[in-house]
This record gives sequence, C-alpha cells and structure tokens, in this order.
Amino acid sequence: MKRIALAAAALLLVSGLAQAREPTVMAGDWAAYRAKFLQPEGRIVDDANGNISHSEGQGYGMLLAYLAGSRADFDIIWAFTRNEMLLRDDGLVAWKWDPNATPRVTDPNNATDGDILIAYALALAGKEWANADYSTAALDLIQAIREAAVVEAQGREILLPGVNGFKVADRPDDGPVINPSYWIFEAFPVFARLDEGGGWDRLSRDGLAWLRQTRFGPRKLPVDWVSVRGRPVPAAGFPAEFGYNAVRIPLYLVRAGVKDVALIKGLGQGMSDGGDVVTSDIRTGNSKDRLADAGYRIIPALAACIADGTPVPAELRRFAPTNYYPSTLHLLSLSYLAQNKGAC
Amino acid sequence: MKTSTGLVLFLGLAGGLLAFGVRGSLNGSGTDLALQFPKSGTSLGTDADVVPAKPADQPPAIATIAAPPPAAIAAPGQAETLAVPASTGPQVDETALRYFARQGDTKRLEAEIARLQALYPSWTPPADPLAVKPQPDGKLDAMWKLYSEGKYAEVRKAIAERQTADPKWQVPQDLLDRVALGESRQRLANASDLEQFATVIKIATDNASLLTCGDVDVLWRVAEAFASTGKADRAKDAYTYVLKNCKDPAERLATAQKASVVLAPREFEGLLALGGKDTSGQDEFQSLRDDLVRRTVGAAATDPSLTVAPEDVARMEELARASNLASDDSLLGWYYIGLESYEKAAQWFSQARAREDNADTAQGYALALIALGEPGKAEEIVYPWREASDNVRAVYLAAVANLLAVKPQPELDPQVLERIVPVVVQARDVPSAQQLGWYARGFNQFTTAAQWFQTALSWKADDEPSAYGLAITLQQLGRRTDVAEIKRLWKGRSQRIAELGERQPRTTIIPDPNVHQPSVDTSIETSDTGLPSRPAVRRDPQVRHDGGVPPNAALPGAAKPRPMAAPEIDPAPTRSIRRGVQVAQSGDADVGCGTTDASARASPRAALRRGWCLMDLNRPVEAVQAFELALNGGDAKARSDAAFGQALAYLRNERTDEAAIAAVKAPLSRERSITVQSAILSQRAAAFYEAGRYSETLQALDQRAAIAADRSDLMVLRGYAYFKLGRRADARRVFEALAAFGDREGLKGLGVLYQGNGSR
Repeated sequence: MKRIALAAAALLLVSGLAQAREPTVMAGDWAAYRAKFLQPEGRIVDDANGNISHSEGQGYGMLLAYLAGSRADFDIIWAFTRNEMLLRDDGLVAWKWDPNATPRVTDPNNATDGDILIAYALALAGKEWANADYSTAALDLIQAIREAAVVEAQGREILLPGVNGFKVADRPDDGPVINPSYWIFEAFPVFARLDEGGGWDRLSRDGLAWLRQTRFGPRKLPVDWVSVRGRPVPAAGFPAEFGYNAVRIPLYLVRAGVKDVALIKGLGQGMSDGGDVVTSDIRTGNSKDRLADAGYRIIPALAACIADGTPVPAELRRFAPTNYYPSTLHLLSLSYLAQNKGAC
Repeated sequence: MKTSTGLVLFLGLAGGLLAFGVRGSLNGSGTDLALQFPKSGTSLGTDADVVPAKPADQPPAIATIAAPPPAAIAAPGQAETLAVPASTGPQVDETALRYFARQGDTKRLEAEIARLQALYPSWTPPADPLAVKPQPDGKLDAMWKLYSEGKYAEVRKAIAERQTADPKWQVPQDLLDRVALGESRQRLANASDLEQFATVIKIATDNASLLTCGDVDVLWRVAEAFASTGKADRAKDAYTYVLKNCKDPAERLATAQKASVVLAPREFEGLLALGGKDTSGQDEFQSLRDDLVRRTVGAAATDPSLTVAPEDVARMEELARASNLASDDSLLGWYYIGLESYEKAAQWFSQARAREDNADTAQGYALALIALGEPGKAEEIVYPWREASDNVRAVYLAAVANLLAVKPQPELDPQVLERIVPVVVQARDVPSAQQLGWYARGFNQFTTAAQWFQTALSWKADDEPSAYGLAITLQQLGRRTDVAEIKRLWKGRSQRIAELGERQPRTTIIPDPNVHQPSVDTSIETSDTGLPSRPAVRRDPQVRHDGGVPPNAALPGAAKPRPMAAPEIDPAPTRSIRRGVQVAQSGDADVGCGTTDASARASPRAALRRGWCLMDLNRPVEAVQAFELALNGGDAKARSDAAFGQALAYLRNERTDEAAIAAVKAPLSRERSITVQSAILSQRAAAFYEAGRYSETLQALDQRAAIAADRSDLMVLRGYAYFKLGRRADARRVFEALAAFGDREGLKGLGVLYQGNGSR
C-alpha cells in the first residue's frame, strides 16, 4: 500500500507538469448547478429526495466541480464527504446523510456507485491539481472498493451495490444482486492507473458482459436490479423495471468511449418514447414514468449521435437546472459534448 | 527504540505502527507520555514509527499542529498539547494572536499566547497585541473568522478561491493545519457516533494533537473505540493519560466513571490511585471507590466463591448505614445470603425494607426467613410481590411449602390459606400442593387431602410423596379399590406404597380429639356465595381438554372453623374416587364418621350427624341414606336439615333431579332453599351445556341469576353458551366483563373469540 501510494505520488509529480486541461463543464452552468444543489458546507442536496445527501451526489458533485475546473468547490465537497461520510471502518463511504436525523448518518451501509464516483473524482483531481492528498485518498478508496465490494459470481466479477444486503448470504433465495448502472465504466481505467494489478479492466469487461446479458423484454432494456444467482433475472423485492437507475447507463457507455455502438443504439432507442425518455415495465415494455427533463432526454440523443451521427438538438445543449438527478446527468452529457467537439 | 525507558505498546494500524504508551524522553527532562497523548517536551512520532530522537534532531513533524479546534482551546496553564523545541530561533506566526486580539476575544487570545509559549519557550508575547500593526489583510481575517466559527469547509473554499485569484498568495500553514485538525475532530466524532471504531482509532492515530486535555471528549471517544475493539489496556492508557495530566475536576470524575464501566475492577482500582484530593481534602474519587466496593460485594453476592476483603465489607456496611439507599442494605443482604449468614442477611433486608419495600428486598428477606425457620413471616412479606417475577414467585411458593410443613402443624389463619391456594394452583406448584395435602390430613380433612395429593399428581404424575399421601389417605377413607389401583401404578417404584396397609393397623386414623373438628353445617352456610363447596360448575372448554386444574380451583369455602380450602380437581379423577366410594360401601363404611347404621337408626340426630360426616368425607351416596334415615324420624328442624343435606348429597353426585325432589321433602329456610335451587340450576346449566343445549343453558343461568348472585365460572359458561349460539357480541361482552376483573378465563374466552375471527 505504501509502495503504491508512493508510485501515485510520483505519477502526479509528472502529470503536474502537464498543461492544465480546459473545463468541460461551463462556468455558467456550474454556477447555476452549484447555486441550486451545493450547500455552503459542501454537500450536494438531492432535492427530489427530502433534501438528503448521499455518496452518489457527493461523487457527482466532485466530478462536476473537477470538470468545471473549480478546485474550491471540489475541495469543500470532498471535505464534507470525508468528514461526514467517509466513516466506515472498511474505508468506504456511508451512503446517506440526512439533515433531519441524529446522528446525520444513521445507516452505515455504503452505495458502491457513490464510492466509485468519489474515488474517480479524487483520482482525476489529484492528477490534475498535483494534490497528493487527493491521490492517496483515491487509492485508499479504490482499494477499499476492491476489497469489500467486488466479488465473483458465475466466474465473472460483480460489483456489490452495497456491502450489506446484496450478497448470497444476505439474500439466500436470489443473491447476489447487482445494479448494472453501478458500473461507471469511465472510472475503471483511471483506477487501473493508480492501482496497477487491481484487476479493474476485468471488472470493466465483466460489467459489459453482464449488461449485454441483462437486456430483457420487448424493449431489450436492462432492469435496475438483477439477480445473478443463475441466468440473470429481475431481482425479487424491487420493481422489475427499466427505471431511474438504469436510465444513465447509455451515458456512462458513451462517456467511457465504449465501442459497442449497437448496444448504445439499442438502449437509446429502447428508452425513448415520442421524444421523451420513459421508465418501463421490463416484462411488458409498457411505459411508466415519462421523463421530460432535458437532462434525461439528452441521453438517447447522445446515443443516437454516437450511432447515427444525428446531431444533439440545440435545445438540449442549453443547461437550466431542474432537479438534482437530471441536472447532474445533463451536465455530464454536456461535458462529453464539450470534450468531443465536432463529434456530434 | 532501545532508548525507550517506559512502556511502549504497538498498534498495527493501517499499515503503520503506532506506539501507545509511556516512554522516557531522552533529554532527561522527565518521563512523558508520548504518541497518542503527547505532552510538552516530548517528540511526536509520525505515522510510521516511534523512534525517539533528540529533540534537536527531530524534525517538527506535526509541530505546527499544536492547538485543538476552537471549541477545545486549552485554558492557560493547561496546555498539555505537544510542543517541539525549535532548533533555531522561533519564527512565530502571530496571525491568530493578532486576530483574536482585534476581535477582543480574550479567552482565545490567552489560549493562543499559552500555546505559542509552550511551542516556543524563547518567545515573548507582544506587550500589546493590538499595538502590533501587521499588514491589514481583510481576506485572511475573514478566514480566521470562519475558522473560529467552525466553518471549515468555507475556510477551505476561501483559501482555494484566493489561491486561484492570486497564485502568489501563501496560505498560512497554521490556518491550514488548524482547519484540518478541526475537520479531523469532527470526523472522529462522526465515526464515533456511527460506532466505526477502527476509523476513530485511525483518525486519532493520524492526528495525535487532537488528544489533549483541552478536548477530553475526544480522549473519551478514543478510549471507547479501544474498549469496543477489545483493547481494554489501550483504553486504560487513555484514561490514565487524562488522570495524570488533565485538571478539570468534573472531567476527571467523568473519566474515572467511564473507566469504571470499561475496566475490570482490579484495573480500575489502579486507575483510582491517580486521584487527588478535592478542595475539602477528600479523595476526589471516593464516590467511585464506594461504587467499586458495591460492585465487589455485589459480585460476591452472585458468586459466593469470590471473596471480599474485610475492609471492603466494613466499608459497605458503613455505606449502608450512612446512606438512605435500600439498595445498599439489600446488597449486603444478598451478600450474606451467599455466605449463608442468614441472621445477618435478615437484619440487612429488614433495614432495607424499612427504607423501601420492593420485590428484590422482599424476596431476599423471605429467603433469609425461610432459612431461619420463619416461613410464615416470609410468606407474609413476599406475598404482595409474588407476581413481580418468576424468581419471586418461586420464593413465595418455597415459603408456602415450608409454612405448611411446619411441625407441629400450626392452624393457619384462613385468610392466609385463602391467598395461598390460588397462587399454588396458578403456578401448578407440586411441592405446595403436596404440602397442602399433608396439611389437610393434619386436620383430618381426608377428602380435601386426597384432592390436593391428586392435584399434585395431575401436575406431576411421578411425584411419589404425593402418591404415597394419596394412597394412605384413601386407605383411611376405606377406598381399597383406589388404593389397589395406586399400588398397581407404583409397583416397583415405591416400597412404602407397596407395603401400605400390610403391616399398619388402621387405628392411626382416629381423629385427634384436640384438633378442632370442622362443622360441616357451618362450612356450607358461611361459604361466600351461599353455596356448598361442591359441586361447583366448571365447564371451561379449554381447560377440560388439557386435564389441568382450573385457575379458580380454590373454593371460597374457607370459613373460619374450616382450616383450609380444597382444590377443585378434575372431573375424571374425582369420578374414580367416587366410584371407589360406591364399591367400598360394605367395607370400612364407618371410617372417620364413627357411627354405625344401627346407631343412626336409633337416633335421627345421630343419622344427621353421620350424614354430614359422610359428606365431609365426600361419600355422598352413603350420606343420602343417612339423611334419609334422619328425614324419616326426626323433628321438623332435623327433617329440614336432612332434606337440605340430602339435596346437597344428590347434587354432589350430580343427580340433579333427585336433589330437586329432596329439597321439597321438608320445608327449608329461604336461604337454604336458594342455596339448593341455585346449585340445581348451576348443575342443570352445566349439563345442558355438555349436552349441546345452549339455549337451555342460558335459560337455567337466567333463572339462577334471578335468585343468586352471579359467579365468574357461571359467567364463563354463559359466555361460551353465547359463543356456541353464534351470539359473539354477547359472548364478548361477558368475557370482557370478566377480563376487566383480571379473570383469566375471561381472557381465554376473548382469545377463543378472536381465534374464531381469524379462522374465518
């Protein structure tokens, strides 16, 4: 561990000399997002969920602050995350922070996608801003994820969505259960750079394999929660739907530069319904919630652009914050477009 | 490492080695606590090792992280935070000092001066901090303000923003370090609240300067984390550190209190030695020492193999006398119980009880009294607490069994007997039931005795003493067939039952003339309900199946001259005894009643007496005949008595119609008439119920209700009759009324009703 940390420090010494990158989240967009969702103490508020904060939101906030080039915002979001949520004995982040609970963290369980986002943002920021503290914290978290949340099932690696509650031991009937949207594919190459030999490319490959295997029903869409006890099936106790979790999968694939265009195209088409994004029942394909926010609609638009070169409509390129979640997805999408000028 | 002169404990933490303990400092300035609990004059290890180095050689690794967060800034003279002597002239950062001075924050100003003096002994504070004219730096002041408000995130943000705007600007390291330390303090508290103890220890390890007297709460949290992860010795180190270094009396006491919970008594005692004297010259931890004595004596009370030092016992007795705490007296009571010093135990419990009567004290006192041969007093004392717990009830029943077994047999107050019986029945306590049998025998109440033995056996079929008691009692009652049956059942299992009646002449059964003979007549007429003791109606569908004894088995017939009540026992065994009676007619028919048919014939009054005597022996068939003789020859009073007696005898035989006929053979007093009529109607109601004729059951009950007060067992019957007729609302009303009085049958009835609902 010591050795690797030193290696990381050396790495960022080199990269510190490199040219600072251009922000891909525009200053105005970030200011609008920050004004609406970032509290002065450094927490990102999920305004559609009782104004709680969670590790996913903190991770997104750190990633967006990094992409916006806002070191000050990154710093306070990270400080809050570390001091208030990075408390678990195993080095992972407690997933939920509730301003109306005492203590604020009442459930020590983690959410692995939140851990991944935070570690990813830290790794990027540590390199970009030549900050050894960030890089060390990133590596600690990356290794904690590997240690506590990556296990094997049927000869493939899976990400446990949380350390508690998803393993075979926790769900004797259908465990383990995975959530395909917890694979943030763009993070794994970055993890692999800091944590050589950590097997992150394998987790990435296996994640894609699981995803290809979990497309169900007439719309051929992944379900939010999947039992991978045997042949993947929708997990018991969760709605069998392509829902708010899975809606971000095409975005993750696009941002990670995954080359499987057919997969991206299929997902984008499956989730679209008359110009809107819909959540849908996996078995019948019937639509459930109609998601009209630009932050949702830009996702199939990105997929179509990747697949067919269809330009992303101009109205989706303008950012105006709505709720925390679609606003976050929107900025991540716009950041991709900014980074790949001329691609769409 | 070889230079260490004290205890160094290593912790494997997060890949680093952390020492945690005491070691000598090299410069000979004395022994200090290092590492986790740094102190002035000691160097501080980093996260890798604890090699002590000469102060001059030691890089001031965390030297600048000197102060606790604002809430915890140490008061002057209490700055046990670390200090590393600087190898060169001090370059003292007076930013904070000036800031606090300008704010007029005297407390923090003084703390800052004390801190800087500890850090830099050669430094002298400015005579007038306000006179110092630094470059005005409003932005930095704003940062310090945010810092002093604990808004660390906002300080960070301000720093980062300024750095972005002005790349040449150098953030004061002191500010950065303080913010980091403040954040770590918060994080440690958060992890502690979430019981993530490894995280707590890691943060403390990485931020040793958090561990100061200025913030004892952190030390407590770290100690708790150690204790909760099985490292009591490290927890002790933390408490030791506080007691050796920190001054605040309240915090010291609280520290020792926390340690008393975590540490074993012996370890804790060592810690108490660190106590000083308070302002009145008292040991500041005297109250804790006393609690320790309490713990020690209390532990010995539950485990008598533990010995307590005489001075501790003496102190405990001193405490008990001085305090008003019944619990102290009780503690000693239990201690002496453990030592089997029952007189002392009784004294202490008696004193405890004078201060406060409670279940624990009553239980202990009763135990001592039982051991001292005073079960009557024990029964009286513990009776009010019998429901407090199973243990208390067990003690109560022990008192009862012992009380009944006292020789020579006392005549117990009927009130005592009346309250004993329901408890025995409810608890199905075999020893007490058996003792009730022997007790009844002692008063020549053989029928009652037999019933109690029978009851004991119904609860515990292999209770040999009860079987023996039943056998000799039946023998005395002349029920040879039943005795033979018992002998058959116990063949090869009880020598004395096998030998029963073979060698003993039956002369032993003649009642002791000195014992007060109960008057049967009175026993009937003074019963609470105005009813004869038997037959009582019991038609509880639930109890009937499990063959147990009903909870209301104690009959209320324990009138004054009658020493005790009989249990109402199961129909089945009762019937077998009755059958025995009928078979045994030609045998020892005169056992217990002392007269013959011939003499009865000669005198109707004698016949009457014999009838009542037979009734008392529960031989109603013979009693019918005796009363018949009395009816045929007696005067009006005797005839009335005889008709009444015969009616009761038929009732006891469950020959209800014949009882009704007997009741009109001679005029009865209104009271007796009602007694008989209501008993007849009770029996009819029960018979109707058994025959499934529920409407007629209700009719009989209604008729009875018109002439006599209702009884709970009949209300139960009524409830079930309603239930069977589908009149659930009526049934519920009846059961609820019963349940409102705490009647178990009522509760059961409600249960049956609800079950019925559920199954629909």
